[in-house]
Amino acid sequence: MKQYPGLIIALLAIQNDLNAAEAGMPQLDPKYWASQAFWLILVFTILYISIAKFYLPKIKNNLDNRENKIKNDLEDAGKFKELSDSKLKEYKNILEEAKKEVTKIHLETKNQLDKDIKSKKEGIEKEIEKELLKAQKEISELKKGSISNIQKVSESIASNIIEAISGDKLNESSIKAVVDDVSKKNIGKYLK
Amino acid sequence: MASNPMQQFSVHKIGPEIKISGIDLSFTNASLFMIISASAILFFLFLGSKEKRIIPNKVQLIAELFYTFVAKMISDTAGSKAKPYFPFIFSLFMFVLFCNMVGMIPYSFTVTSHIIVTLIMALFIFIAVTIIGFAKHGLKYLSIFVPSGVPVVLLPLITIIEIISYLSRPVSLSVRLFANMMAGHTMLKVFGGFVISLGLLGGWLPLGFSVALTGLEILVAFLQAYVFAILTCIYLNDALNLHH
Repeated sequence: MKQYPGLIIALLAIQNDLNAAEAGMPQLDPKYWASQAFWLILVFTILYISIAKFYLPKIKNNLDNRENKIKNDLEDAGKFKELSDSKLKEYKNILEEAKKEVTKIHLETKNQLDKDIKSKKEGIEKEIEKELLKAQKEISELKKGSISNIQKVSESIASNIIEAISGDKLNESSIKAVVDDVSKKNIGKYLK
Repeated sequence: MASNPMQQFSVHKIGPEIKISGIDLSFTNASLFMIISASAILFFLFLGSKEKRIIPNKVQLIAELFYTFVAKMISDTAGSKAKPYFPFIFSLFMFVLFCNMVGMIPYSFTVTSHIIVTLIMALFIFIAVTIIGFAKHGLKYLSIFVPSGVPVVLLPLITIIEIISYLSRPVSLSVRLFANMMAGHTMLKVFGGFVISLGLLGGWLPLGFSVALTGLEILVAFLQAYVFAILTCIYLNDALNLHH
């Protein structure tokens, strides 16, 4: 068997052919043709009616439902997207306006502050100047006053000293003249 | 020894003999497998349409795939006018497909491997299509035999050829399906017989062939159902939309 597989296959094929020829093709035996035709028509008619009446409408219904659902969902999604876009736009607008307002307020406040500062600064400067003038005046008055005071004190001191030394009282006008003379020479040293 | 490979096609009576006015209409194994196939289709469609889910389960998905597959086939080949015939073509496709597939189960019977079955289906389609053609277009339907743009000299010849080709439609349609199924099953049987007769030593090669052929036959079973349905669509298209 192992040595002649080809031969065996050929023999088997021939034998099979012979058998087939012997039996013929059952398909060509008309004995049951009528039966097959009858049952085919019966079964197929029932199948067709049940498919057409029950199952296809059901499946179609399911498919349509799904399609509608998908369509509706897509529409909804589109609507929501539009809504969110408009909201976003609104939000951006609000934000922009707020920003503008902020800059405006900022600017206004800044101007106001600048103005305030400037006016206050001016006021203060004026006051300072006034104070300075006043002080200078006082100083100059004090200077004048102090010179005459010093002369008087010097005159009395000089007359006292002369009196103590000589015992005599000199007349006041001559002492005054001398003190005047001296103070005119030296007062510049102390009152600068 | 391998049994006769044609044995699988023999029809035998099941139960009592039924005779109506001298014609034998007995219930046979062929009838049984027609009923099994049809029941399988109905059961499958029942499961597939039972639950109305938005997200389908597996059976529902497959049933809906079949639905859209056939619907697309019809609209692609015959256009929107063929919509009323959708249930018929769907039933036809499913019936041929399930008969072919049930036939692939070992020890079962292949209904579509009988010329009488395929011939009756093909004749029904042929007659129905012809009636639809005449009903839609009247005698203008005869213009299907006269292609436009053919030289006048060739016209008689072409017309004769067209008529022959039209009349041979039921034959080609039925013989194609019958011969494919019969040849495939015979081959499977022959190779199965070789596996037994060549035994442990030589049987592996035909066994491998058998496995490959089984895959091929499942493909052929689907393909022939598809071809049968699409040719029906094409014939229907000729009858509905005269554009010859």
